[in-house]
Amino acid sequence: MLSKVAERVYWLARYIERVENTARLAKVHSQLMLDLPKSVKLSWYGLVQITSNEDYFALHYDSRSEQNCMKMLLSDRNNPASLISSLWWARENIRTTRDILPREAWIHINELYVMVKNHQEDFATRTKRNELLSKIIRACQAYTGMLEGTMSHNETYRFLKLGMLIERADMTTRLIDEGGLFVAQEHFEKDDESYFDAILWANLLRSINAYFMYRQQYQTEISGQEVLQFLTQDEEFARSISYCLNEMCWFMRKLPNPEPMQNALKSLQQKISAEQKLIIGSNELHNHLDWIQKELSQINRLLYSTWFNPKQVA
Amino acid sequence: MLEYLKDYPAGDYFDEAVAENNTPRTAAKPLLKQFENTPFNSLQEMQSSAEVAIANMGISFTVYSDKGNIDRLWPFDVFPRTLCSQEWKQISDGLKQRLKALNRFIEDVYNERQIFQAGIMPEEIITSSKDFRPECCGMKLKHNSWASICGSDLVRDVTGKIYVLEDNLRVPSGVSYMLENRAVMKQVMPEVFNDMNILPVDQYPMQLLSMLRSLCPYKTDNPEVVVLTPGIFNSAYYEHAYLAHEMGAELVEGSDLVVLEDNCVYMRNIEGLKRVDVIYRRIDDAFLDPEVFREDSSLGVPGLMRAWKAGKVAIANAPGCGVADDKVVYAYVPDMIRFYLNEEPLIENVPTYLCSREEERNYVLEHLDKLVVKPANESGGYGLLIGPKASMEEIETFRQLIRENPRNYIAQPTLNISTVPTVCDQSLEPRHVDLRPFILLGEKTYVTAGGLTRVALKKGSLVVNSSQGGGSKDTWIVVTEEEN
Repeated sequence: MLSKVAERVYWLARYIERVENTARLAKVHSQLMLDLPKSVKLSWYGLVQITSNEDYFALHYDSRSEQNCMKMLLSDRNNPASLISSLWWARENIRTTRDILPREAWIHINELYVMVKNHQEDFATRTKRNELLSKIIRACQAYTGMLEGTMSHNETYRFLKLGMLIERADMTTRLIDEGGLFVAQEHFEKDDESYFDAILWANLLRSINAYFMYRQQYQTEISGQEVLQFLTQDEEFARSISYCLNEMCWFMRKLPNPEPMQNALKSLQQKISAEQKLIIGSNELHNHLDWIQKELSQINRLLYSTWFNPKQVA
Repeated sequence: MLEYLKDYPAGDYFDEAVAENNTPRTAAKPLLKQFENTPFNSLQEMQSSAEVAIANMGISFTVYSDKGNIDRLWPFDVFPRTLCSQEWKQISDGLKQRLKALNRFIEDVYNERQIFQAGIMPEEIITSSKDFRPECCGMKLKHNSWASICGSDLVRDVTGKIYVLEDNLRVPSGVSYMLENRAVMKQVMPEVFNDMNILPVDQYPMQLLSMLRSLCPYKTDNPEVVVLTPGIFNSAYYEHAYLAHEMGAELVEGSDLVVLEDNCVYMRNIEGLKRVDVIYRRIDDAFLDPEVFREDSSLGVPGLMRAWKAGKVAIANAPGCGVADDKVVYAYVPDMIRFYLNEEPLIENVPTYLCSREEERNYVLEHLDKLVVKPANESGGYGLLIGPKASMEEIETFRQLIRENPRNYIAQPTLNISTVPTVCDQSLEPRHVDLRPFILLGEKTYVTAGGLTRVALKKGSLVVNSSQGGGSKDTWIVVTEEEN
């Protein structure tokens, strides 16, 4: 398989996963605004922060309004990290790899792109926005399921999986960070704290469809500590970081020269599992999540040197 | 004779299917016999189903325009162009002879230059050519194969004689359409193929692959062949992908290849770097290697020329072979055949006046209103003067151009090229055609059975280019009963 083709397929999957996650993020944030009392401050700018878009925002927008934050995150075609840009890139990558993907892949994504493009102004108002975001999430899920069910689980599929999993792990760190940031900035009365925290964490879990899975695992009241554990260390939940790393290891076993990559993934996974006492809202947690994100981009670089831009003669 | 061919105006030009007295020509006889019980509206139905098949198969070509590049469906006519296998045998022998001589010539140009020393051709024709590549001097290639793939354009005049109009030696395209045309025809009129003896065309990709493998400059069990494309935005990308797919070769872009310090070419694979032995390139010389040619080109591969000159990779067509794809050089091909092969040309050139020669230039300047004037070095029918259809102003412009740069112009008589019945609204009408067969030269020489027949779909038009209202027809080399 040509490296370039593998790279395109990998990014295709990353972009689709990013589209879905960005939609989830925007949706849960809107939801949270409704659930928390007016006295609790929750800024839209948090969305800019957790997607690491502060610099771009400062350059192109003035006030940190809902309108601006949503526009930058969802429909700003000049922002390479916006939902519409990710979708455009996903479509471009499918267009140039059509011959190795099921025909429906193109139809699905092209339709989704056209639909989003024609309804961009819906992102501006809350009710319409949520409806459109739900549609986008559902379309992404249908697309992923379609590939799972119709594709040979071959090299192409393995690179799709790798892209999806690394993007998913990355987004999970960002979500936890969002929760932590929120807890850190609040100055509640001692009694209220746990109450609002529970709302916050429940919403975060819902944003990645993790609420019910969490509930089955932990029957007690929702606690930030346990959510943190669930999303980073759980071995069975599909969006926990540990799970994603394990899966990546598994999916690359049939690719050429996987050992160095697998070792890097295993060692990262072990370090994450070993982490015991991080306090929600603490700087340590934020740094820990930052560290995971950096490790993930290290993994991404390793993917390049191993498969996408090999320097060694086979 | 067919009912709907009774009033067919054969005789104005040479018609490929119907002779002057409205009787079928030998090659068309079995076809017209097949059609005897086919009413005209059935032909029209076949035409519609061919168009549906083309849409379903996604056969398209790109038209460059101001409003962006549009993929258009391939215009196609179901009434095939027929040729006798006996006549084809002579034509293909002539084409092989021609390509052999052209390749001997290219190698001579970059090495001994005997043809100039012998006084057959003036050397400045080559040194003044913009496609002469000094970098190629001293190179000798396996099987003498510089122009390994050639698409020659053939035309037939009113007397029925076949001429070569030009030889396309750089990156000739169109062969995928020849193959697709046949696939469409098999879908649309399968019975006809059952009952007639038509030579197959579908071995071409395999012949191409085996020719490319034969170019590998060193011994290896399984040469790795790749197709090098400029990418998805190129107008012939469809064909690049098609041929790569049919040959089972990787379709690569410049960025997929790398030349290491050992001067070998590698492609980036997920297994690591994999050695490439033969490159079928579909990008022009100027873009091949930014180290040597255009620095700003991102389409090519830095170091590729180095690798080629070191004999570590074969490139088809070889760099520098465009030097023979020049309308002035074309005029000398019959002389080349005599000089290098010591044979008489089996197919003639269209009579050509070289404006660089004083006597011929004077004739051209006096007869501009009757001649077609072409720049020596352009492709795709750009910058032409068609004398009989030109205004006084255009003629004067060309008179000036020729005087300023005589080397750059040739002139030929306007040819009334042959016609083939074509499905129109009310009946079959004659439309003008040319023919582009594809010739391969490696260890062996191969000519396609027929080629791509291009047809000017507009009434009276002589322009067959697909960008200018041209379409195509399937070409049938028919083994007739007389031969069996």
